[in-house]
Amino acid sequence: MPRSDFWSGLAVAGFGLLALLWMIPNYAGSNPFAQMPPELVPGIGAWLMLVCGGIVAVKGLVQILRERISFVTTEFNWAAVGWAAWPFVYVAVAIWFMSFIKITWFGAFLIAGMLLLLGERRWYMILGCSVVPVVLLYVLSVYMMRVGVV
Amino acid sequence: MDFSAVGAAAAEALTLASFIGIGGGVLLGYVVGVIPGLSRSVAISIAIPMTFYMSPYIAISFLIGLSKGTAAGSAVSAILLNAPGEASSAATALDGYPMAKQGKPKTALQIGLIASVMGDILATIILIFVAIPFARVALMFGPYEMAAILAFALVFIAGLSGGNIFKGLAAGGLGILLGTVGLDNQTGLPRLTFGYTELMDGMPLIAVAIGTLALSEMFVQSEKLRYERGTMSVALKKDDSDRMTWPIFRRILPTILRGTGVGTFVGALPGLGPSVGSFMSYGMAQKAAKEPERFGKGEPKGIAAAESADNAVIPAALIPLFGLGIPGNVSAALLIGAFAIHGITVGPLLLRDNPELLYSIFAGMILASVIMLALGWFGLMFFAQITRVPPHVVIPVVIFFCLAGMMLQGYGTFGLIILMGFALLGYLMKKYDYSFVTFLVAFIITPMLELNLRQSIILSRGNWEILLGRPIAMFFIACTVLALVTLIIRTFRTDKAAAGAPNSE
Repeated sequence: MPRSDFWSGLAVAGFGLLALLWMIPNYAGSNPFAQMPPELVPGIGAWLMLVCGGIVAVKGLVQILRERISFVTTEFNWAAVGWAAWPFVYVAVAIWFMSFIKITWFGAFLIAGMLLLLGERRWYMILGCSVVPVVLLYVLSVYMMRVGVV
Repeated sequence: MDFSAVGAAAAEALTLASFIGIGGGVLLGYVVGVIPGLSRSVAISIAIPMTFYMSPYIAISFLIGLSKGTAAGSAVSAILLNAPGEASSAATALDGYPMAKQGKPKTALQIGLIASVMGDILATIILIFVAIPFARVALMFGPYEMAAILAFALVFIAGLSGGNIFKGLAAGGLGILLGTVGLDNQTGLPRLTFGYTELMDGMPLIAVAIGTLALSEMFVQSEKLRYERGTMSVALKKDDSDRMTWPIFRRILPTILRGTGVGTFVGALPGLGPSVGSFMSYGMAQKAAKEPERFGKGEPKGIAAAESADNAVIPAALIPLFGLGIPGNVSAALLIGAFAIHGITVGPLLLRDNPELLYSIFAGMILASVIMLALGWFGLMFFAQITRVPPHVVIPVVIFFCLAGMMLQGYGTFGLIILMGFALLGYLMKKYDYSFVTFLVAFIITPMLELNLRQSIILSRGNWEILLGRPIAMFFIACTVLALVTLIIRTFRTDKAAAGAPNSE
C-alpha cells in the first residue's frame, strides 16, 4: 500500500504539474477582458491533483521510510501481468481493426476469439454468444435507430 | 400541483410504448443484476446509446427501470450464489445464502423481492412529495448558492465514496480538468483540445462513462478469472412449503418500513450510496431484534432489511438530482448525461420548464416498481438459471457492446481511442483506489459549476463581500470547509490505524 500510494501519488501530482506548467498555459486559452479567465477552472482541477497527489505521495514516502521497505518490488509475477494485459491488447487491436471494417461485420469473430482465449470450448456457447449480440446490434442500428450498419 | 399535468403524466405512463420501454428496462436490469460483476452503473452506461431513438420520457424511464431492476436482480445471485451482483447486495447474502442452503431458496428470493418492491415504491412516493417542494425552493437559488452547493457535494462525495479524501479530491481534480475540455462558453476559445476538432464539444460523455465504468470493469473481471472461476448456485426445486407466507410477511413488515426509511435518508445524501444504506439498515435490524444471534444464519429480517434499504436508495438519490440538479451517485450522474443527450436540463428548472415530463417520469417510476414485482414473482425460475452463466461468457459480450455503443454515438475510431484511454484510466483508478465515482461526478458537474461560478464573479464584480448577504451560500461554504476538515482528520486517523496494524504492505 505505501509503495503504490507513493508511485500513484507521484504520477497524479506529476500530471497536475504538467497541466499547470504546460497544458493550461498553452492550450486553455486566455482572455484579459474576461471577468473569469478561461484557465481558472482547469487550474483549480490541476492544483487539486498536484496538492492531493503530492500529499498521497508524501504519506506513502513517510511510510516506506518508516517501514524500511524498498521503493520498487522485485517480485514480479510476469504471468499475472501478462494475464492482466492481454485483454487491453486484444481490445486495442480490435479498435485498430475497426478503422477498416465495421464492428457488425467482424463482431462475432471478436467475441468468439475472446471466448476461446478465456477458456470456453463448447461450440454451441461460442456460436450463440457471438452471433446473438451482433444480430441485436444490427436490429438496433438498422431498424430501430436507423443509423445504418455501424 | 398542476393536476392536468399529473393526469397527462398518468395517461402517458399507461401507453403500450411506455410499458414496453419501462418493462424492457426492468427486465434488462434484472438480467444484468443477476449476473455477478455487472453493476448498475455498467448497465446504465452501456444502455445510454440504446436510448437515442426513444422519446425523452421513455428513455429516462427505461434507464430508471434498468436501475431498479439491477437492484432487485442482484439479490438473486446474492441469495443463490453467495456472490452479490452488486456490492450493495452483500448484506442480503449474509442471511439469504444460509436460508437458501437450508432448503428455502424460493422463500428467501420472495422475501427479497417483496422488500425490494416495497422499499422502492415507498421511496418513490417520498421522492414525489419531497422533490417538488425542494425544487420550488431551489428555483429561488442564485448562482452563488448553486456554486456553493455544487462545491459542497463534490467534497462530500470525494470523502465518502472512497476511503481516502486526498485520493478522492485528486480524482475530482482530474474530473474538473477534463470537464473543461472543449469550447469555452464565454470566450468561444477552444480549451485543452490540442487541435482536435472532435474535442470542440468536450470529452464525449459516452466514452468517459463506458470507458471508466463498463470497459475497465470488464478488464478487472477478466483479471480476476485467473484466480477465481465459476461457482455453482443453489438450485430451485418444486416444494410447496418453500414459499413466503402471510405470518412471515407480517414479521418482516416493520423491518421493511425501517429499511425504507434508512435507505431514503442515505440515498438523499450525496455520495453515500446503496451499500452504506443496506449495511446500515441490516445493522439497525440486528440491533432492534429480540434474537440478534439469528442474524447471519438465515434470518428473514436480515434479507428484508438489506433489500428494502438497497432499493429505497435509488429513488431517494433522485431527490438532490431533481431538486437541485446534483447527482448523488454515479447512476444519477449518468442520468444527467442521458437528460443532456435528449436536450433537457435536469434540476429545479425541469419543474418550471417541463413539469409534464417530470410527472411522467414519476408515473413511470411507479409503473417500473409494479413491473418489477410481476417480473420478479413470475420469473424467479428464469432468473435463477441466469446465475449459472459464467463470467467468462459475459465479459466478451459486454466488451462488444461497449465498442458498439461508441460506434452508435458516431464518434468513429477517435471515440474508440478515447474510450480505450478512459478504460485504462478507470482500471488504474480501481487498482490504486482512486474514487472513479468522484471523478465521474466532477466531470459531469464541472460545466454547471463553471457556469455558476462565472455568473457569481460577473454579478459580484469580484467583490467577495457580497457573499455576506447570501446566508444559504455562506452556509454551504461553511459546510464545505467543515466537511473537508473532518474528512482530512478521518483520513489521517484511518491511515495511522492502518500503519499501526501488522503487515500493512
